[in-house]
Amino acid sequence: MHHRLHWLLAWWPVEKAVTVACVLGLIALTWMALGVVLGTPLWVVGSMSVAQGLGLTAGALFALSVGADAGVKRAKRS
Amino acid sequence: MTPMGALALVTAAISAVLLLHQLVVRPALTLSTRLKLLLGLAVFPFVTAVASTAHGMHRTTERDFCGSCHVMTTHLGDLEDPKSASLASRHGRNPMFGGTACYTCHADYSMLGYPLTKLTGMSHVFNYYLGGYKNWSLERFHAEVRIAKPFPNSNCRQCHSAALASFQGVEEHRAIAEELTSERVSCASAGCHGVAHPFSKRPEEL
Repeated sequence: MHHRLHWLLAWWPVEKAVTVACVLGLIALTWMALGVVLGTPLWVVGSMSVAQGLGLTAGALFALSVGADAGVKRAKRS
Repeated sequence: MTPMGALALVTAAISAVLLLHQLVVRPALTLSTRLKLLLGLAVFPFVTAVASTAHGMHRTTERDFCGSCHVMTTHLGDLEDPKSASLASRHGRNPMFGGTACYTCHADYSMLGYPLTKLTGMSHVFNYYLGGYKNWSLERFHAEVRIAKPFPNSNCRQCHSAALASFQGVEEHRAIAEELTSERVSCASAGCHGVAHPFSKRPEEL
């Protein structure tokens, strides 16, 4: 179990995941901003649903990446 | 724009700068970079999401939002017509209704009226974009589409209290008090105060 977790942490593509998180975050933020500026039904409803889903995914990717990075560094030290 | 809308735009802009900096410069994942990303991917976007949702919920109560779909343009046009004598227009001219006239009447009166009205409003968006209404002509929409459930008298009674002497002083109100309370007779029906949007009804419905 421990080895498998270590393998997973080592495998997790931290830099790629952070990049994807940033791109997803930018898309989500742009959508939310357009929902405020344009104020049309599709953009407003999308900003309160799809955009928030994208934002949550971006945040989760970032949290996983930070966790994986910290786990790998700890494993190297021990 | 509401203050919440402005807050959403400001926090979104700050987050975007932080994320673009990360994408362009690509600094190593040091503690300071992690903190910046925490701000750019979690803290500020959370504020943006909350503020844009608050702004969006307010936006969905505005009558030009309801009238932005082409099948609602005649409803909005009638509401804004100072010469119209329809029930909706007479209410829409009241400053108490103002820019949120559609929502003020159609939001159900109950503890959960606000969220339930918003949820049922989602069916309008679904029907418009995925149910085909977007491609319908106004004539077809007026001929085939009716309100999803009868308009409840309790919505009228949010303002027109049945407990007031001015209401009870009307003989017709007293005569059908039970029918009005049990929703068997609608305030907005032919023979009473008339339908709210008469232009969208067939002659036999008026």
